[in-house]
Amino acid sequence: MKEFFRRLQYLAHRRRFDQQLAEDMQFHREMAARDGTPNFGNMLQLREDAREVWGWVWMDRLLQDLHYGVRVLRRSPGFTVSATLVLAIGIGVNITAFSLFNLVALKPLPVRDPDSIVRLQRRSPEMITAQMPWPSVVFYKAHSNMLRAVMATMGAPPMELESDMQPVTVNFVTANYFSELGTMAPVGRILMPEREDRADAPPVAVLSYGLWQRRFGGDPSVVGKLIHLNKKPATIIGVTPLTFASLDGQSSDVWLPLAEQPYFVEGSTTLGDPSNGSVRMWGRLARGVTAKTAEQELLSLTNELRKLRPDVIWNHEYIRIDPGGHLKVMQPEMYQVAAMVEALVLLILMAACSNLGGLMVARGVTREREIGIRLAIGASRVRVFRQLFTESLLLAMVGSAAGVGLSCAVLQTAFAAIDTPAWISAAPDWRVLLVALGVGFVAAALFGLAPALQIARQRQQKTTARQVLTGVQLAVSCILLIAAGLLVHAVHHVLHADPGFGYEQVLGINPELETHGYTAAAARTYLSELTSRLRVIPGVESVALSKMPLLKRGLTSYMTVEIGGRFVNAYPNWVDAEFFHTMSIRILRGRTFLAGEKNTAIVSESFAKRQWGSADPLGKPLWRDGTSRDMIVGVARNARMKAMNDGEAVEVYWPAQPDDMQAMTLLVKTAGTPDELAPRLKSIAEGLDSKLFPSVWLLKSGFHETASDLEKLAMLVTLLGFVAVAMASIGISGLVAYTVSQQTKEFAIRLALGAQQVQVLATVLRQFRWPLIAGLVAGSGIAAGLSTTLRKTLYGVSNLDPATYTAAVAILLLVAGLAAFIPARRVLRVNISKTLRCQ
Amino acid sequence: MPPGALVLLILRVLRSGALHGYAIAQRIHVLSSEALRVEEGALYPTLQKILLKGWATAEWGISETNRKVRFYRLTSAGRKQLEVGLSEYERLHEAIQAVLRTA
Repeated sequence: MKEFFRRLQYLAHRRRFDQQLAEDMQFHREMAARDGTPNFGNMLQLREDAREVWGWVWMDRLLQDLHYGVRVLRRSPGFTVSATLVLAIGIGVNITAFSLFNLVALKPLPVRDPDSIVRLQRRSPEMITAQMPWPSVVFYKAHSNMLRAVMATMGAPPMELESDMQPVTVNFVTANYFSELGTMAPVGRILMPEREDRADAPPVAVLSYGLWQRRFGGDPSVVGKLIHLNKKPATIIGVTPLTFASLDGQSSDVWLPLAEQPYFVEGSTTLGDPSNGSVRMWGRLARGVTAKTAEQELLSLTNELRKLRPDVIWNHEYIRIDPGGHLKVMQPEMYQVAAMVEALVLLILMAACSNLGGLMVARGVTREREIGIRLAIGASRVRVFRQLFTESLLLAMVGSAAGVGLSCAVLQTAFAAIDTPAWISAAPDWRVLLVALGVGFVAAALFGLAPALQIARQRQQKTTARQVLTGVQLAVSCILLIAAGLLVHAVHHVLHADPGFGYEQVLGINPELETHGYTAAAARTYLSELTSRLRVIPGVESVALSKMPLLKRGLTSYMTVEIGGRFVNAYPNWVDAEFFHTMSIRILRGRTFLAGEKNTAIVSESFAKRQWGSADPLGKPLWRDGTSRDMIVGVARNARMKAMNDGEAVEVYWPAQPDDMQAMTLLVKTAGTPDELAPRLKSIAEGLDSKLFPSVWLLKSGFHETASDLEKLAMLVTLLGFVAVAMASIGISGLVAYTVSQQTKEFAIRLALGAQQVQVLATVLRQFRWPLIAGLVAGSGIAAGLSTTLRKTLYGVSNLDPATYTAAVAILLLVAGLAAFIPARRVLRVNISKTLRCQ
Repeated sequence: MPPGALVLLILRVLRSGALHGYAIAQRIHVLSSEALRVEEGALYPTLQKILLKGWATAEWGISETNRKVRFYRLTSAGRKQLEVGLSEYERLHEAIQAVLRTA
């Protein structure tokens, strides 16, 4: 240990110690000369040997290399700027992707003790849900010792604030929600467990900062004022801070106490219903308790709960605990998306690095003399290699820093454009900086190693390395172009191909009967009254019932079933006889449902094809394993209304049963455009029962929302694709220009001997056919392999769509051809006599 | 010279008092009846190592030629190291002798 400190001392006072050493040796020489035994040898070299004992020589060399590198880069500003730019793009894209991932999954929320916050989820081998019945949450809360606190949140449809046109979003939360998160109200107070945890507490509301500013002009005197939400009076008690961070990124204009939910949603029996999964459960692990031990305790509690409520708990049910102190609780599908994005951005990094690699090799040629001299006066190859690689590293770090700046600017712009919570900042944290450093090293290895080796070995003239690098760039561009092409094709497909169902003229109505505590009988009365009133409105063609709200954001349920050896997502729905007519879904075989029938089912055509092939599905039982007695009575066209993106999804329809009625939504098909009818439908649906606040939506707006998400994705990938193509074309141009300049003499001789210009041009271009062919073939192959992961996002477009592949290859051929041809033209302008005389 | 031997020799000649670099080389030269000659290229790296290990310290003094020069002085850690080194050397030496005598 002491020795280490002494070493540090040598480092700190290196100059003084070196001076002393020099004096010692000088004195030694003098004395030796006096005694007649003169000592020869290089003093500097000897001193360096002695210094090596201190253990800091590597650092001296590194500093030397860095100094030299800085000088070299400053001497060629053109190269340095373009290289930094290429790197900033390549690295910046990666850093941006990581920053987003960091923000969503790694960065702890700015709340009190985020590490101990967990999300609890019901699971069994077959079922997963984050929605829990409130009575179960109460049970776990009362009996768990491993959970220090239990919170619950419940989403709700938007509510009318006074008589504003724009409804406000609301969330119900347990009264301890804010105090557990350590939220401080800038005005008024937050919910308090001792006051708002009872159903009979005076009704109160906490406003979000945004709503407070927007609707109330940031007036602090709103505290204590009465507002009406869905016509129910409530007192404003406070406002959440601007930088409030909620769990799982839930945003809300108004926060209401969960215990008062039956007051705000009149008639609701949701909270008391032990079988109604209605709230999300969150907890705080007790100190020193791991998720595993807490899971064990909760498992035994679940088993106890089963004794109390045997019908509610699933077979083999357990509670899964996930870390909840981040912006989002990560789901396996989200990791898939993250992996896909990561693959794309790494491709860009590869394109940037191979581009820069090509530039480095080209520079190697111009530095041939310099390196040659250094080797000649005794530098070892290792030393030269190290010097060159240090230069690359330096460049990579500059590029990395520029990349951080670029990504920061991009994120800043993006966050400003879309409505993100105020606590989210684009400034990089230590994780981002660490990754930036790491990506910089990877980049340096990618673009610097091969050229440094080639130059140190004095093989600058060979173009092999550049050809390989060009091939890599072409392959990467090819992959990105194909991915972009597939997505663009998917957008086109969504917007222009027949989706298999009609949505332009359909309105949805969700009266939310179940949340308002309707019984099945009451729901039947309400729905039959409403449908008969709707049917007589002029312009209404038909009215149907569907249990699943269609083309509307919200929860989707599906089953993953194995059909014909492949796992596909099956989307269930319970509908009435009018459904297929109203949604314009053609029945291809058999018939639609009859009023009041039971134990029948209609499946989509791809379901039928997968399950029974060419055999007639009519009359077959639905599941092979015999758990259902439902018989197939019809086959409908594919209509992927709940999963438009998933080209493999299948649909199953059952006839809605009288007992399902409180869960139904309505679909209304109009003769003309449905837009003007929406307010009228809403007032009719409200008029039947004043405690209801039905939502009415246009199916076409839901459809376009989904399409525009896809459009954005396609645009982003296309942009990346074009960046890659642009870099590849620069790379090719450079390579061709270099080759031409190297072979000018040869071409001049050929032309002098009477070769046709076209022939010479062909010779030039022919040298690049291998990188071109290899790049395109490898790119297409890799794209074909990778794009299987895209299959569920392509809206039914095949991931091997030949038109897209052909187009991508054609574009690249064209661009590569142009990029090669422009510099190659110089061959035609060669001044033969001058060239030959010069050399 | 076997590795480590020069360290041992230097520590040994320093035991009787502080010496400057050239004197160390001279002393070894003289004491070995002019058989051992310590070159600059070996002496100064070894001296640096001894300083680094803390076996000796360097202090300014005046040489016999009236020049300001660094004298190396053994520390207590150096004395200990010398003993350890000597006993190790003895053991090694005996072992080699034993083999050479009987084999």
